[in-house]
Amino acid sequence: MTKLYVLYDPRCELCLRLRDWLSGQRHWLELEMIPAGSPLAKQTFPGLEQIASSDDLVVISDEGNVYLNNRAWIMCLYALQAYRSWSFRLAHPLLLPLARQAFDTLSKNRHKISLWLASKDPARVANELRQVTLEPCPLQGTISDYLK
Amino acid sequence: MIIVISYLIYLLISIALTVWVARTLHLRGAIFLVDAFHGSTDLAASVNHLLVVGFYLINIGFVSLALKSDLFIHDWREAIEMLSAKIGWVLLTLGAMHFFNLFVFSRIRNHGWSMDRPPVAPNTILGVGPVTHYPGADLS
Repeated sequence: MTKLYVLYDPRCELCLRLRDWLSGQRHWLELEMIPAGSPLAKQTFPGLEQIASSDDLVVISDEGNVYLNNRAWIMCLYALQAYRSWSFRLAHPLLLPLARQAFDTLSKNRHKISLWLASKDPARVANELRQVTLEPCPLQGTISDYLK
Repeated sequence: MIIVISYLIYLLISIALTVWVARTLHLRGAIFLVDAFHGSTDLAASVNHLLVVGFYLINIGFVSLALKSDLFIHDWREAIEMLSAKIGWVLLTLGAMHFFNLFVFSRIRNHGWSMDRPPVAPNTILGVGPVTHYPGADLS
């Protein structure tokens, strides 16, 4: 595995933050960011709409492995030099459903989440992450409106 | 006079041994580190060099501190016995340091490998890989 294709929803604020934040990090794996539902996405991955909708965050490896939503957030962290060890801790069954909250906190306040993860108790970290409120994505208009 | 010659021989043998062990470590440890750092040769070379510098500092420091002998040397027999005991200690220290360095190498390598597989399994696997996109191709 040497490359990940990240198909993000261009209407979602959190996804856009992911795209900008990822491009500023040092990588172990090459990352190619593709807006979901765009002509490029359709051409590169024909038939993907049968697996995922444009609301899903999708990560596809160069070997054809498809990771959706929570797993996709974890794989984005796995690709980064500074965050690979975090991806393993956040892949814990208690924390995986909170991957979006973890990413939101991580990209805003790295210090805060590193204090939580220092406790090594996944249940405590999960409790903290449940209190993170995510701004809902405004799902208005079609994908092509946002790609203009 | 005998003691001065003994000290000089001691320094010569000890430093030669330190250089030999350090060079072995540097030469043979490189491949370990390249593997541990996922083929990043620059990072491996840097860590390798730093480890060897530490190795030299500790060993030459020990050799210098262990030089002085309180024995009063009367003849060559006593000189050789003292020399042998001192070099024995230097060899044991070098051996201990060498194994410690090997331990550090293997820890770094195991740590590297344990994170080589992704933390989560894929949801599904595509039948066909990504279609190569040629720059300039009409995507509309």
